[in-house]
Amino acid sequence: MNTSIQDIADLSEFQEDNCKKFVDRIIKTNREVFMMSSLIEKQMCGYDLIKEIFSKCDVFLSQGTVYPVLYTLEGEGLLHAEYSKGDMRSKNYSLTLKGRKIAEKDIDDFSRALEQVSLLLKR
Amino acid sequence: MLKNTISGLDKILFDDIPKGSVILVTGAEGTLKSGLVFSMMANYISANDEHGLYVTLEQNIESHLRNMNSLGIREERGLHIFDYRDMRLEWMDSELDLIKTTEEVIDSYKEKYDNLTLFALDSLNALYSISDQENMRSKIYNFFSHLRDEELTSFLIMESAQSRISGQFSSSHQVEHFLADGTIELGMIEGSGGVKRYIQILKMRATKHAMEKHQIIISDKGLNILGPIY
Repeated sequence: MNTSIQDIADLSEFQEDNCKKFVDRIIKTNREVFMMSSLIEKQMCGYDLIKEIFSKCDVFLSQGTVYPVLYTLEGEGLLHAEYSKGDMRSKNYSLTLKGRKIAEKDIDDFSRALEQVSLLLKR
Repeated sequence: MLKNTISGLDKILFDDIPKGSVILVTGAEGTLKSGLVFSMMANYISANDEHGLYVTLEQNIESHLRNMNSLGIREERGLHIFDYRDMRLEWMDSELDLIKTTEEVIDSYKEKYDNLTLFALDSLNALYSISDQENMRSKIYNFFSHLRDEELTSFLIMESAQSRISGQFSSSHQVEHFLADGTIELGMIEGSGGVKRYIQILKMRATKHAMEKHQIIISDKGLNILGPIY
């Protein structure tokens, strides 16, 4: 059976789409880790966080999935929230000391889990 | 059991509200709709190892809690309050599909708390006023289905005119009444003894209930339902 260039192009596009779907699912399911990882670098409001993850990962986390996580993490004492001086429109979130420790551990555990899954699949 | 969450509620609700029911709580402003729902949820959560979610579009968390405290209703750790203030300040209304967003908010809390069993939305009117009106009937049908699929006992607060004419609801809200498993009406009646607040169960599927209007008062221990008003 001859494989045309178009077939190869279609397969490559399918693999890329499929890979994107997996990345999309992994990030959405584990958004708490990705959100905390972004907050390690700088403090951000919900809007900035969604934009940041979209520009880095090409995955759009919807508002209804991000703000509940921010509120819950704040309630658990992992995030500190404050309005910018003179601007009551954006509530900026930063990691507390406890939050930073948990974020670093979660990022480490998550990375190791991904490596293990990858090894399992390659067997 | 929800019927034991407010003093005197068992005078009008003879069986418990079936789990997973969607209940409309209607009435004019100042008739204690938010207070009744929040009080039922807070008291239920304090007596059971479960979680609840109260979504408010009308007020922010701080002002909602201030109002509840003024009614003698205390905050409960397992009763999570979500307001849209930050989201609406950071995003334009046109960028938010608030019905879909509310479903996602519910799913997020459900993911976090397995035993999230109670939900309230304060209010449906506010949700409508900032939502795209296209296909609203189908969106509402899907929203009610989502609440049932999640097996949440849900209270949807809806502000309505003080009086219903010949038992008919205004046509704009007939869909919700038809879709809901129950309707609790709160209102005010002026009589010889002055103005009294009342509660009346208009409909509650699979539940025995009184039909009369009963007086509801605010006591120093929270809300209290007294005998029939007539």
